[in-house]
Amino acid sequence: MSRLLRIDMSSLSHKWMDVPSKYSDFAGRAFTSSVLSDEVDPTCDPLREGNKIVISPGLLAGTSAPSSGRLSIGAKSPLTGGIKESNAGGLTGTRLGQLGIRGIIIEGMPPAGTTDWYSIYISKDKCEIFKSNEWAGIGLYELIKKIWDKYPGRPGVIGCGIAGQRLHIGAGIFGNNMENSDPGRFAGRGGLGAVMGSKRIIAIISDGRGGEGPKPKDKERFDRGRKALTEALQNHPVTGRLTDDEGKPFGGLANYGTNILQNIISEAGGLPTHGFRDGRFKGAAKISGEAVHELVDKTREKFGDAAEGKYGHPCHPGCVMACSNVVPYEDTGKLQVGPLEYESAWALGANLDIDSLHDVAELNRLCNDLGLDTIETGNTLAMMMEGGLLEFGDGPGAIAALKEAYDPKSPIGRLICSGTLIAGRTLGVTRIPVVKGQALPAYDPRPIRGIGVTYATTPMGADHTAGYTIAAEILGVKGKISDPRDLKKADLSRAFQATTAYIDSVGYCLFIAFAILDNDDGFQGMVDTVNGFLGKEIDVTEYGLAVIKKEREFNRRAGFTEKDDRLPEFFRTEPLPPHNVTFDVTDEELDAVFKDL
Amino acid sequence: MLELHLYGVLRQLVNGSVPTEDTILNLPYVQGESFHGLVQRLGLSMSDLGDCFVNGTLVHENTVLSDGDRIGLFPFNMVLLCGGQHLKGHGYTQSDVDVDYY
Ligand code: SF4
Repeated sequence: MSRLLRIDMSSLSHKWMDVPSKYSDFAGRAFTSSVLSDEVDPTCDPLREGNKIVISPGLLAGTSAPSSGRLSIGAKSPLTGGIKESNAGGLTGTRLGQLGIRGIIIEGMPPAGTTDWYSIYISKDKCEIFKSNEWAGIGLYELIKKIWDKYPGRPGVIGCGIAGQRLHIGAGIFGNNMENSDPGRFAGRGGLGAVMGSKRIIAIISDGRGGEGPKPKDKERFDRGRKALTEALQNHPVTGRLTDDEGKPFGGLANYGTNILQNIISEAGGLPTHGFRDGRFKGAAKISGEAVHELVDKTREKFGDAAEGKYGHPCHPGCVMACSNVVPYEDTGKLQVGPLEYESAWALGANLDIDSLHDVAELNRLCNDLGLDTIETGNTLAMMMEGGLLEFGDGPGAIAALKEAYDPKSPIGRLICSGTLIAGRTLGVTRIPVVKGQALPAYDPRPIRGIGVTYATTPMGADHTAGYTIAAEILGVKGKISDPRDLKKADLSRAFQATTAYIDSVGYCLFIAFAILDNDDGFQGMVDTVNGFLGKEIDVTEYGLAVIKKEREFNRRAGFTEKDDRLPEFFRTEPLPPHNVTFDVTDEELDAVFKDL
Repeated sequence: MLELHLYGVLRQLVNGSVPTEDTILNLPYVQGESFHGLVQRLGLSMSDLGDCFVNGTLVHENTVLSDGDRIGLFPFNMVLLCGGQHLKGHGYTQSDVDVDYY
């Protein structure tokens, strides 16, 4: 039986509750967005007591379904001013699943003037809110180690770092990885780290030991689905195992991670380079997933068992695709950062013209240690380059600038933590790549217009994960429309966004898309796990659209209008080489995406 | 001339290539040759390949190549992570990719 945990930071108290029947099918993003829209005043100040943080593992987290341990965190975003869900891997989704916790709702905040910091420990039998002043102001690598030393049982840890504790809106919420070697599993977007900081919470520790975990209602159907999906994943060239039967490289994600995309998007001419001025980066190969793969092999050869670099690494227990990695220092073989995702390698690399893998990984390490979103921070550094405070391509300069963020008195450090829009405006930049105040990720919307429509219209602010991976087939397009040009952009983006909302809610990683789209048995497997778990039939599109509807309504009540569903002007006026195209989707088409919702 | 940029295991087509540098193979241009023809000339089959590009546009088997084209060749296990719907304009399919974006 799943439970809810409600924590009140004003009175430092908690209570356990049954899941209300209206939320019985909701988990992950469906849960966080529903609670926010039911309980939070959309006009509240996101960093004051009216806001809430809602944490929810995906529906299938803690079960044996493959790659299903994702975690959603939601709040009103201090970055966008709208509703936000940010999604991450790491240990906490699985641990909360094991404890049978469907969601945690954190409300209120300690009285003004409080200087104490708190952390929360959750296990099978208890929830403890305790003072943790000794954890304030320290780097997250040090913090996660201290927590694992104190709490045996390999708990999941999430929380905010230095940036969030200072209420900077570039802050994300970190999570530890399975080995606790890196705090790099980020629910990075939307400035949610600052919301946690405003509640004066540093860490939430979940100890899954002894928990019963969720039980599927129709076990036979669930198991059938699980097997079919696992098989489809393992045999697909993108999501499959590391090597084939002859020992040759096989699964693309396992070998190269998400950063497989660095070379591909650059070759496609859609890799935003030099602050969105070019679509192709000369140094892409140097910071690509292939380069990481080679570096790992090289350090393994040199340092043997002492080498800590990895590819084919799962971000949570039970992920069979294992797209995560650990970048080692070349000269010692020790862990530098893990994972180095495509989005981060882009934001801190191509976007800044930095082609040194070492410098890019170091910037990512600093973001992880400070508790900053890499996409927001990379774009902020680009604003400093546009604004003349740094040179494009200057890796050591960018590293030195980011290190200033440790010093609470450094204005540059504070600016870097404040996000792209504020930094751009402060420095008089007129090419600021944000939608609803949130910085664009790693796909230029001019040659890649579909994702541009998603950036513009998702309630989340420019966000690639909102309508990114799930093909139209799931929604019945397969076999019905022969010429894809018959599909309206709006229909397609809306379809993607709805299905993505479903996947975010059930807890699967978006990358299962390959196996479920290419393989009908895999698709049926996914549906069987979800419907077998719930013991009823769920319509993918309806479920997803209902979630988006609530999110749009929240934003509308917060004051958003269709004018907020637009890309910045320069995407419409500056052609992007090598294709030399602009973003030419009309406002009418953008407004059509959710017109009838 | 055709300028082939090779990635992943296909880098092996050039001796001494390393993944941290661009691996480029220059091949003579053959009048009227299709992408499929080029793949055969390399001793490969379409199933060895993932998403490939000519001058930054997703290539179709029947695309006829022009002198001076830049061709990005990715192996079977390297494709756009979303299946490239936002570039291809439709679902994950390697055999019918005649739309570069939608
Ligand atoms: S595929 Fe990657 S991101 Fe997805 S669950 Fe597995 S390791 Fe995590």
